[in-house]
Amino acid sequence: MKTLIKWVADGTPWVWLNAAAVSACILLVVGLLMLIGVRGFGHFWPLPVQEIVYQQADGSEIIVVGQIREHEKVTAMRLRESGLEVAEGSEFVTRYLIKTGNRDIIGQDFRWILEPAIKSIGKPQSMVVFEREEWGVLIGRLIAVRESGQLLEDPDTWGEFLRLLTRANNMRDEIRELEKGRIGSINYRLERLRLKQRGLELEGKDEEASLAVIENDRARLQEEYNVLEENLGRLYTELRRDAIVVTTSDGQEHEIPMSSIIDAHRPNQMNLFGKLGYFLHTVWKFVADDPREANTEGGIFPAIFGTVLMVLLMSLFVTPLGVVAAVYLKEYARQGLFTRFIRIAVNNLAGVPSIVYGVFGLGFFVYTLGGSLDRLFFPEALPAPTFGTGGLFWASLTLALLTLPVVIVSTEEGLSRIPRSIREGSLALGATQWETLWRTVLPMASPGIMTGLILAVARAAGEVAPLMLVGVVKLAPALPLDGNAPFLHLDRKFMHLGFHIYDVGFQSPNVEAARPLVYATALLLVVVIVLLNLVAIQVRNRLSERYRGLES
Amino acid sequence: MRQQDNLKTESGVGKRLPHPTAVTVTDLDLYYGQTRALKEINLVIPEKQVTAFIGPSGCGKSTLLRCFNRLNDLIDVCRIEGEILLNGRDIYAENVNVAELRREVGIVFQKPNPFPKSIYENVAYGLRIQGVNKRRQLDETVEWALKGAALWDEVKDRLNDSAFGLSGGQQQRLVIARAIAVQPKCILLDEPCSALDPISTLKVEELIAELKSQYTIIMVTHNMQQAARVSDYTAFMYMGELIEFGETDQIFTKPRHKKTEDYITGRYG
Repeated sequence: MKTLIKWVADGTPWVWLNAAAVSACILLVVGLLMLIGVRGFGHFWPLPVQEIVYQQADGSEIIVVGQIREHEKVTAMRLRESGLEVAEGSEFVTRYLIKTGNRDIIGQDFRWILEPAIKSIGKPQSMVVFEREEWGVLIGRLIAVRESGQLLEDPDTWGEFLRLLTRANNMRDEIRELEKGRIGSINYRLERLRLKQRGLELEGKDEEASLAVIENDRARLQEEYNVLEENLGRLYTELRRDAIVVTTSDGQEHEIPMSSIIDAHRPNQMNLFGKLGYFLHTVWKFVADDPREANTEGGIFPAIFGTVLMVLLMSLFVTPLGVVAAVYLKEYARQGLFTRFIRIAVNNLAGVPSIVYGVFGLGFFVYTLGGSLDRLFFPEALPAPTFGTGGLFWASLTLALLTLPVVIVSTEEGLSRIPRSIREGSLALGATQWETLWRTVLPMASPGIMTGLILAVARAAGEVAPLMLVGVVKLAPALPLDGNAPFLHLDRKFMHLGFHIYDVGFQSPNVEAARPLVYATALLLVVVIVLLNLVAIQVRNRLSERYRGLES
Repeated sequence: MRQQDNLKTESGVGKRLPHPTAVTVTDLDLYYGQTRALKEINLVIPEKQVTAFIGPSGCGKSTLLRCFNRLNDLIDVCRIEGEILLNGRDIYAENVNVAELRREVGIVFQKPNPFPKSIYENVAYGLRIQGVNKRRQLDETVEWALKGAALWDEVKDRLNDSAFGLSGGQQQRLVIARAIAVQPKCILLDEPCSALDPISTLKVEELIAELKSQYTIIMVTHNMQQAARVSDYTAFMYMGELIEFGETDQIFTKPRHKKTEDYITGRYG
């Protein structure tokens, strides 16, 4: 008893309590990362393809070919209630989720099968998983390869296939370069010409001479376009030249044009290193490619790009504004009731729900400011809006507004940490208040400013709700940064990782296929935010290193 | 009124000094809000001499010192009445450029306050403010100022190191070098040695003795031995009033005023 009292009195339980709280936090964070990491990136690991002989409810046997994605135990009762026959005596039944692919052939690419109904199971070496432009994956055996319609006699079908695949992929790259790059650029310039002509008409300066110049330019572009178009047509015909023959689980042969196949692997023949290589390859493709098929396939590069670019622009807007505001509040304004009121207002601003900022951004930035900008500077494009619709610029500004309080508060804190003696020392040497600020106070407050920016970045990068109102889209046709002057297109709509998660997870036509992508995208969002923060923290540490000794 | 006249003669303020005048304070009153911190100060400070302000804590020594380069302006509630002439010019006149005034009247505080920059940049700070950016001119002035502050030999090999790497005494001399680099007429020292060890104190005191050939030095000190050692003139202040002012020898050996005597003999403090 006495020892217990002593144990309580010397504070040991508190130490344990605190330690337990810290452990709980760490466990939660690590658990969260593990969950999204495993669920997300497990998706890219090449699973073996199983060939399962399966007895259906009516007694007939079919062959199901696919990868086992998940398994779970369900109560026999539940299965019986849903009309399935389950042997007496078993309380639980395991069922498997099989990714069969071949959506175009069998109408679905996932199916559940029950363990007791499995007659036999095998892993044939020859099974190939083809990734296609459309319809998800195709799983089957590669029978033959047709080059220019000619059946190839070479016994090494796989080798021949890989050769043709490389050719097709090179060609696809060429086509993409042509379509997105050069033809995109011509289209952009044609649109600019149209706007220029319309502008001249609106101003009443559409004289023969200037119109002729435009017409001349247009004809030249059109000519260029025709040449490219011809090239493109030729490339497409070339791309469609080859085909492969595949047998699927139902035993039928299908001829698939090479042009629709992006990638292929034989998971049953891969060893650990092969699997690892393939895993890294697919993860990289996920990070670096454009999305396909309503975002359920392909990569998320535009979303990463959009997120990072938006956060950078946001930082660019919020830092100067927040710092200048904080400097005024702290250094110049006469401290009193009014400044205290402003401080309270700023702090409360940080508590306003983000969607409210979205509404404000839409109402004020997009409709009012954007509408006026359009009328003043882009009348030739009307009625199609330029800045009068959501876009990168307005989204960044809205988030800058959202994070402004954080920057103001931390900058003020940074400023108030600077000892009075330093300011007086500078003033005593004949510096004005502005010179003191610029040469001494602000550099010394820069770690505080960076802290504000770090908090702002963390908040802004994860924000989704306001963005949905001011410029994020599920699929943007072009990146906001490209090779066409003026290079940075602030009026363009963009993709965002946070919104991508929502879109893939809840707006997708193919939930089973999309679910791992939700986790993978979530993990990437975390990684992007962590990376952005690490950069900022690095900068801050450097700055505080330089101004260390401040506290002494 | 009569009493005040007495005080004037007694405190020696009315006496003609054997040196030219640097600062003249006439009927100075200073208020912090409602509190009257300085009461009718009248004082004449000689040029190129060391004048020490002594007195118990809170008697207004530092406040008076900070009036000479208008650092009290930074305090919102501070208000000043009366007149301070620096070389015949009223420093509280409307048209005075405060930055320029502060360039003429440098100040060194109790705790060394180097900027978080290199030793070189600390000394060059005042010059850069004035728009001097020529490397050669900066180099010369920095060397001259550091030599003037008796610090050159200790730091000449590490001018680009952070000033925070110096010891307290070195930092204080660096701050003095920073002050003389802008070539002021007058240097204010606000208890310059109270944060230093005895050896550093000795160095700074020697430095003060050297500097007085070129600058008018006004210092506040808590340490009466220091005042006796270093200063030529001493002013004793008590409760916001200037009780007695005179040559240091006279103040310490034959104080005219009872309060001064009580203070320097250690009866209160």
